[in-house]
Amino acid sequence: MAELIVMPKLGLTMTEGTISNWRKAEGDTVAQGDILFDVETDKISNEVEAKLGGVLRKIIVEEGTVDIFQPVAVIGDANEDISALLGGGVMPVAEQVGTPADAGAAAATAGEASVHAASGRIKASPYAKKTAAGLSVDLQQVKGTGPQGRITEGDVRKYAIEGGSGAAPKVKISPAAAKEAAALGIDPSGLHKEGRIMKEDIRSIAAASSQTAVQAAVQEVKRVPMNSMRKIIAKRMLESQAVSPAVTYNMKLDTTALGALRQQLKDTLKVTYTDLLVSIVARSLLEFPLLNCSIEGTELVMRNYVNIGVAVGLEEGLVVPVVKNAYQKGLAEISQDVKRLAAGARSNTLTSDDLTGGTFTITNLGMYGMESFSPIINQPEVAILGVNAIVDTPVAINGEIIIRPLMNISLTADHRAVDGAVAAQFMQKIKAYVENPALLLL
Amino acid sequence: MRKMTYGEGIREGLRSKMLEDPNVVLLGEDVGPYGGTFGVTKGLWEQFGEERVRDTPISEGIIVGASVGAAATGLRPVAELMFIDFLTFGMDGLVNQAAKMRYMFGGKISVPLVLRLPAGGGISAGAQHSGSLEAWVTHVPGLKVVYPSNAQDAWGLMLTAIEDDNPVVYIESKVLYSKKFQVDDTVAAIPFGVASVKREGSDVSIITYGKQVEDALSAAKALAEEGIEAEVIDLRSLYPLDKEAIFASVAKTHRALVVTEEVKRGGFGGELSAMISELCFDELDAPVVRIGALNTPVPYSPALEAYVLPNTEDIIQGIKSMF
Amino acid sequence: MRISKELLSGMYRKMQSIRKFEKTASTFFAEGKIPGFVHLYIGEEAIAVGACANLRDDDYITSTHRGHGHIVAKGGNLKYMMAELFGKETGYCKGKGGSMHIADAELGILGANGIVGAGHLIATGAAWSAQYRGSDQVSVCFFGDASTNQSTFHEAMNLASLWKLPVIFVCENNLYGISVSQARHQTIKDIAKRAEGYCMPSLTADGNDVVTVYEHVQEAVQRARNGEGPTLLEFKTYRQHGHFEGDPGAYRPKEEVEAWLQKDPIPRFEKYLTENKLMTAEELKQIEAEVDGEIQEALDFAFASDYPALESSVQGIYSDIIEEARSR
Repeated sequence: MAELIVMPKLGLTMTEGTISNWRKAEGDTVAQGDILFDVETDKISNEVEAKLGGVLRKIIVEEGTVDIFQPVAVIGDANEDISALLGGGVMPVAEQVGTPADAGAAAATAGEASVHAASGRIKASPYAKKTAAGLSVDLQQVKGTGPQGRITEGDVRKYAIEGGSGAAPKVKISPAAAKEAAALGIDPSGLHKEGRIMKEDIRSIAAASSQTAVQAAVQEVKRVPMNSMRKIIAKRMLESQAVSPAVTYNMKLDTTALGALRQQLKDTLKVTYTDLLVSIVARSLLEFPLLNCSIEGTELVMRNYVNIGVAVGLEEGLVVPVVKNAYQKGLAEISQDVKRLAAGARSNTLTSDDLTGGTFTITNLGMYGMESFSPIINQPEVAILGVNAIVDTPVAINGEIIIRPLMNISLTADHRAVDGAVAAQFMQKIKAYVENPALLLL
Repeated sequence: MRKMTYGEGIREGLRSKMLEDPNVVLLGEDVGPYGGTFGVTKGLWEQFGEERVRDTPISEGIIVGASVGAAATGLRPVAELMFIDFLTFGMDGLVNQAAKMRYMFGGKISVPLVLRLPAGGGISAGAQHSGSLEAWVTHVPGLKVVYPSNAQDAWGLMLTAIEDDNPVVYIESKVLYSKKFQVDDTVAAIPFGVASVKREGSDVSIITYGKQVEDALSAAKALAEEGIEAEVIDLRSLYPLDKEAIFASVAKTHRALVVTEEVKRGGFGGELSAMISELCFDELDAPVVRIGALNTPVPYSPALEAYVLPNTEDIIQGIKSMF
Repeated sequence: MRISKELLSGMYRKMQSIRKFEKTASTFFAEGKIPGFVHLYIGEEAIAVGACANLRDDDYITSTHRGHGHIVAKGGNLKYMMAELFGKETGYCKGKGGSMHIADAELGILGANGIVGAGHLIATGAAWSAQYRGSDQVSVCFFGDASTNQSTFHEAMNLASLWKLPVIFVCENNLYGISVSQARHQTIKDIAKRAEGYCMPSLTADGNDVVTVYEHVQEAVQRARNGEGPTLLEFKTYRQHGHFEGDPGAYRPKEEVEAWLQKDPIPRFEKYLTENKLMTAEELKQIEAEVDGEIQEALDFAFASDYPALESSVQGIYSDIIEEARSR
């Protein structure tokens, strides 16, 4: 029985999606769970799986933007008559796909589209499930390599270590060898061997690894197509540079007090500097609404709320999930949000809603020892704050040289909306809060 | 240390308890001057005399039933049925009487009897002399069931079986009778409900007992060459059961294979498997695999018999299917 | 034969105890206060009482599903029996056995038994045990006519005879195996005949005459104690109630039932005692009144007792293991 494949709804706010690439051609045999096509929205890219097996009879939309629930292809038996489906236009798919009643359901829909068939239950061993729960790994994203495609504990650990970058092919490896490989940080899937990979194989690979590095230095040029996330980033960064007359401002902050505050909280709540800065910036933005606005034509769109995007770097690119209503949230709630969003970004389970609605962005390169950079504004916002490393620095205080932990902050602001003085005052405000967090209580 | 056959291990267990306690008596078909069909009681008639080592008529009902009556009135009889298959005729005495008397009489009567049951195939004895019927007896509340895999355990478990105040079914592997094992110079009673880890391993637990312990060890050896380290658990007593040993091993290896010689359908292996699945669910990284005989009577022709009964290769394949 | 007045009055007391115990059980069963299966011994009292009057406390008996009479005759405690019938924790079996499973090792009672023919084997085993230990204990096996068709009967007879075991097989031939008359379940009329095949002495006698039963069993017990081996005694009798309470017994002709009621062992014994001036009617009345009191006492005890604690259901299966209780 042939069925129409429609543009799935991958989040609460998604109304349309752009098909960027078909992984299957007309006439290909498709198994349930095979990836059919890539879809991009303005925030997120996704792979769409076949929910049933058969032959890909017709691709209705080769490329381009399609409203959700509109047909994009037909899967059916090889010789089946599909003219009725092609002529029929929109089918009542809403019932089939369902209208997610809440964000949880929406997230599930988005996740299912990535690795596992929506209808099919995830096959994972009980021990794998237990391990996944312990490591906060979303099994939806894990590819099973056990018998009958079952996700094993090893698959979960591998996913947790590798951050879910691509599903490992089924590798025939002895358990002892697998343990050895994990201990030595070797990916056995790259080994090609007739029969089972043994512990000795792993050891010899480890021994030869330095030599391998030398061999890899042979010059070579490869053209790698951008993945869809890369494409989105490229497009949006270019746009931003084109529209924003941006200026970057730097200022050093003494983080002694902030560090002490973090220590004081340690037993009650473990917070990161990012969490603290989200809180401080949210509060500061209420006092400097210009940095929290956006520009539409000749109008400034001012807001009485603050949604702060926090950039999360991933192997394949960058996403900016948003801490909604950050100005209303306590530190604990902010911390929880940041954690959840970062994990969601890594496991590719963020919804469109998580990625939209930002009014200001914070990007932190401090963990890489960065001391200054000029971040690019995340359009249509007008400012972005770059956070750098905390560096012990000799400073002169009252004529004495004292070592203090200083952190540089790098603010890029759109000069169309934000003049230098405003930007500077905004940064002073942040500095005041950072250096004297007691002010936050006022 | 000395070498001793499995059959001799059983005999030494019997002998030492008979020397210790005059209320220990043996009965069964041909257990007297003939020494037992498999030679287990050889020499005991000569040593202890007609009164304590009694040949009975071929009459399994009375062998078991009279043992119940004798056990209820002060003796500690050890009865032998020639083959476990003949238990069908002795079943009422064992199941409706011995097993239930303590409970249904409110503790007024104890039945300290031992019933020896030679079991298993492998000797072309045909369908009525090759059974593995441990599931029948482990199913019955009130019975204890042991199944030694070597001479040392055979001896030690016999001591405990005779000392026990409850009816004990002592299952013996026929193909092990003449097999030699290392045995300590003095053998102590082995408490029931304590499994023995015959081989340590990190990747899969083989849960078994009786003759299959040997097969499991062979399989483990072969698998080690392929990088799979199997742990082999010899249960020794099927009831009481050393659940802790099983759970500890499964918690370590996260995979379990149960191998028994019984017909797989409805076997004790199924009970073990269900128990592991039920109680160690979150530890399992693969379904519990059961290895047993095909669901047939045991055929006579050696080729057919070998085909029907489980072997080392079945265990190896079963384990490989989990990875 | 002279039987002491003490023994005679003791036998009469036991017969009345059984009769009144059974009538009480019948009443409370009909009222739904006693659950399960209840097989009553009414009409057969002379056999258990006549046989057990020859036994010491350390002699063994095995009983049947129709066991109350044997237990009482061997000295069983009426209070514990009654409490067991009501399923109370003070019962003989702590409420786990019921009517068909009463035992008392201290009185040599190796149990009533719900499996027809199981007792043959156990009684034989107990006799073997007595013989092996060199004691002069004997073992009496009570069983019905229908159980002599079980293999257990033949296995036991064969071994007892072969090993010259001190066991007395007492057949209570009440002419029916549940609803099937003897003529419809075996070709012989006198079960005593079956002893011939095992070279065992045997006889058939009136089972509703307690003195006759007493005398025959006495002789068999003496032979057993002397190491002369087993005996098969067949006593013809009749159960006045159905197979179990609730069985109307329609398979038995009215005339047959009437005729056997005329041979009720209790009035017969009363007549024998008074006509031979062994006991007076007043003495018998006195005993009857005392038994009534004992039965009332047993009932009071049963009613006053508690039902067993639920956790006791997983206890006492083994001497040393308590099974897992239900968790919910």
